[in-house]
Amino acid sequence: MESSYSMECKDGTAKIVLTGRLDAASAPKFQEKLRELSAQKISNLVFFAKDLEYISSAGLRVIIFAKQKLGADAKLYLIGAPAAVLNVIKMSGLDNFMIVQDQYPG
Amino acid sequence: MERKTFPAVLDNLEGMIAFVLEHAGKVGFSKEQMGELRLASEEALVNVVRYAYPSGPGSVDVACGPVEDGRGICIEISDSGIPFDPLSLPAPDTNLSMEQRKIGGLGIFMIRKIMDKVLYRREGARNVLTLYKNK
Repeated sequence: MESSYSMECKDGTAKIVLTGRLDAASAPKFQEKLRELSAQKISNLVFFAKDLEYISSAGLRVIIFAKQKLGADAKLYLIGAPAAVLNVIKMSGLDNFMIVQDQYPG
Repeated sequence: MERKTFPAVLDNLEGMIAFVLEHAGKVGFSKEQMGELRLASEEALVNVVRYAYPSGPGSVDVACGPVEDGRGICIEISDSGIPFDPLSLPAPDTNLSMEQRKIGGLGIFMIRKIMDKVLYRREGARNVLTLYKNK
């Protein structure tokens, strides 16, 4: 599957649909996409991860950077992530700092 | 062990991982374990690509073979870059929030979680990282 990251921002909520792989090769493209958020006031960052097959530490790092930029008040959602992706998120302990759900808004 | 040499650049990452997974497939790992082996391989290889050769181009050797009577795999990743023992990195504090996180160490931390055994040795002018995983 082609890796792609499409984003839509409205009323302080950024929705990002992740597909394919979020690895060292594709993370720079993803980071570039998230940079578009820096000019906006975002309080909810929602990752739709149903079609995300794989994530590595390079992908996790981009998510951590994004959260650091947005600040402590911004909420981060991970929606519909498959087990393989969720396991990596849990391994890193990041599941404690994001809202992991099957559906959005929940 | 079958060995293959790649230029240590990110563009070759997929080819290197494919080489590992081809051997893992022969051992008969589950789909989930194949995903884990992809992750451990990526983390180890990206470290070499990013940090081993700060002053110019270099190469990375990937060697794979079955161990434990075919019940496991051995992956050996070696380079002739600057001496670096990734196992010397402190484990990241996974209880820290994203705001408090420092960058670094997460990749090797995940390698150690996934693999059964991880060894580093400096052999002459080479860094050799050996990863083992059983089914």
